[in-house]
Amino acid sequence: MSPAAEELVRVDQLTKSFGSTRAVRGASFGIAAGEIHALCGHNGAGKSTVVKMLSGQETPDSGAIRIGGGVLDLRSRQVAQRSGIALVDQELSVVPSLTVAENLMLGDQRARWLNRRRASGPRLRSLLDNVGLGHVDLDQPLSELGIGERQLIEIARALGQDARLLILDEPTATLSDVESEYVYAAVRAVAAAGCAILFVSHRLGEVLGLCDRVTVMRDGAVVATTEVADLTIDSLIVQMLGEAPHRSRKRTGGEAGKSGEVLSVGGLSVPGRVEDFSLGLRPGRVYALAGQLGSGASDVLRATAGLVPAAAGDIRVDGVVVRPGHPIAAARAGIAFVSNDRKSEGLFLDKPISWNLLATRLPSVTRWAVLDRQRWSAVLTDLVGLCGLDGGRTGDSVRSLSGGNQQKVFVGRGLGRSDARVLLLDDPTRGVDVGGRAAIHRLLRDAADRGMAVLFSSTDLEELLDLADVVVTMHKGVVVQRHDGDVAGSVLLREMTHGAAAPAEERR
Amino acid sequence: MNVMSARPRSAAPIRRPGLVVDGVLLLAVLAAIVLALTTDRFLTVANAKAILTSASLVGIAALGLTLITIGGSAVSLAISPSVAAVGMIFLSAQSLGLIAALVLAVLCGTLITGLQGAVVGYAAANPVVLTIAASFAITGIATGVSGGSTVSPTAGGYDRLNATPGGVALSVYVLIGLALIVEWTLRRTGFGRSLYLIGENRRAARAAGLPVGRMTAVAWLGAGALFAVTAAFTAAFNTSANVNLGGTLTFDAIAAVLAGGTPISGGRGSALRTLAGAVLIAAASDILLLRGYSTGVQIMVKGVIVLVVVVTVHLRTRGSRA
Repeated sequence: MSPAAEELVRVDQLTKSFGSTRAVRGASFGIAAGEIHALCGHNGAGKSTVVKMLSGQETPDSGAIRIGGGVLDLRSRQVAQRSGIALVDQELSVVPSLTVAENLMLGDQRARWLNRRRASGPRLRSLLDNVGLGHVDLDQPLSELGIGERQLIEIARALGQDARLLILDEPTATLSDVESEYVYAAVRAVAAAGCAILFVSHRLGEVLGLCDRVTVMRDGAVVATTEVADLTIDSLIVQMLGEAPHRSRKRTGGEAGKSGEVLSVGGLSVPGRVEDFSLGLRPGRVYALAGQLGSGASDVLRATAGLVPAAAGDIRVDGVVVRPGHPIAAARAGIAFVSNDRKSEGLFLDKPISWNLLATRLPSVTRWAVLDRQRWSAVLTDLVGLCGLDGGRTGDSVRSLSGGNQQKVFVGRGLGRSDARVLLLDDPTRGVDVGGRAAIHRLLRDAADRGMAVLFSSTDLEELLDLADVVVTMHKGVVVQRHDGDVAGSVLLREMTHGAAAPAEERR
Repeated sequence: MNVMSARPRSAAPIRRPGLVVDGVLLLAVLAAIVLALTTDRFLTVANAKAILTSASLVGIAALGLTLITIGGSAVSLAISPSVAAVGMIFLSAQSLGLIAALVLAVLCGTLITGLQGAVVGYAAANPVVLTIAASFAITGIATGVSGGSTVSPTAGGYDRLNATPGGVALSVYVLIGLALIVEWTLRRTGFGRSLYLIGENRRAARAAGLPVGRMTAVAWLGAGALFAVTAAFTAAFNTSANVNLGGTLTFDAIAAVLAGGTPISGGRGSALRTLAGAVLIAAASDILLLRGYSTGVQIMVKGVIVLVVVVTVHLRTRGSRA
């Protein structure tokens, strides 16, 4: 390891708590000038909180951030930018309708009322050349560029801030291999120019191929900072998982082969997202799609629910074909979908709990299209009991509930339909506390026991191991492996982060 | 285990902006009452009839617009042209008899507005843009077919719509009856309930598999029928109809819906609120008229009422959400 004297950036004993949750506990590491430094860790390890503190979006409770020896007080993203810290966020923040030059000047702290496009032309040109976009014209509309090139424009913009530290938060998660190569080349060029780079990634292959050192976090603490030459995929996974919970998945439902498939998905493709996905679900079992952002797991669920117009493939419920891209057709066939975005694509927040629970059941609580009070309250009482909600509060708006209870209402709505055959859930316990999580797991298991087929996506190893009968891992839009029997968490993590590459290939 | 019993503890401080708004509202209502009581001839049966009559035509159209607004399609800007076109059809069909002419008018009105609703519902067109285009199209076709002339009725059956049973205009009875029907439909039918859900969160409704397109189209069909009823009464009252029959009805109806406190964003509101909004605007205009203010002032006050109600509704909902 490099001695501290050479380090340009030094993070010292950073600590941050949110309420009673200690998100980051005394994290320390350093990055030398010209070094590409990876930050790894499983979801919830505290990586994104560290990134937020470094980029001025969160203030640490204690600890120090030093660049070039001086301690920085990063109160806002603007201050961080002025201190030479540039962040390329997970989500693209470029504007397709503007030109390349306009995008490069966007959010630049030095921009005054008058942006002198002509004067800054040569400077912008050299920024583009630095990231390998020599072929791109400054006055070209951004909408003509591909996703990978847009990501490079983001990096170029971050560089334009005269960054001393460039933070890249999962820059390749949604990119193809070819596009990712452009990003790697740009990152190497930037590092060669003397910039320190913090590279956050879930893709362990690229971490080992690109970075100089790797800092691994687990449960909010730094496990180790290691030279990449001393690491393999497996030793990285051991660092990320720790020694303790290496328990294998226990199988629950032993009903395989008892009855036919209720949902069969064949050759499902979503352009740029999912390639040739096939899976059959049997009733009474819980299936999981394990995959990180950009793996396509979420897209498979959305496409099956009819929410992706561009999707193509053969989707059947009980042998009957369901037209892709039509949510009403999917719902009618008995597919209930729980989105990962319950606020904008799930619940009706200002409406009462009762309305939300029965939103998809209106035909069964009406007689001659008129609401039938008796049926309404009978169905409602059933559902409230099933979900473990407070029967006395069904008139309150969903907005007044905690996140966990909101999610229960959302899942409960899918369960409530007596005609529902398949329940799809996209990351069902995201942002849900431990208690709510256990309750939702119980709901899913109950649903399976009552004969539904349940398919959920998740990146949480414990959830995958505890809840699912079958785990299908996905990486970069394709299925890596289907696990019907026992499987260790480290195997799942390896497949989620590295795909199906044979062990021999990974050693450098 | 009762996990949901913990009510938001911060309820008390949150209510405060709501209380301020309530206080201001109460003062405004008091001022209006004092103003009304001190206005000569305001509190007479004859004046009450006048207010209701002037509210009735706008009110019926506003009930239709309420369906559109609650369903999340904001507004239709093609109310006046639709009413003018349907009014012309109604009067020129008088030779068929009143009932047949009414049925024909309602069918045409339903078709004209329902078509726009189908495009909004199934093709997710922007209702404002679409209805601006539709209003030009409707006016254009009406002008072309009528040759720009005024339609005069061929028989006198329409005059029965101008009847005043019990001394009150027939349109007032129709307004109250229709308001009750629309209110019941919104509250007690599956259609009404899904309309509120779709209006609040269209994306969620779509993801849940609700028939978003169909329900939107049905809401606009209902609105078209109500616009047609307005058209028949307006045409009968004017005894002739041309492409300008609708007058300022589009904005008057929008004003009534907003003054009733139905938010333009959809998902909330009611028919009875719209009824109250229409009466409120009519009463305010009436007070100003009795006190001798000019038409200009009356129109300005209409705008102020809409503004005050919209701001109040916004502040109150924000207060209850915070």
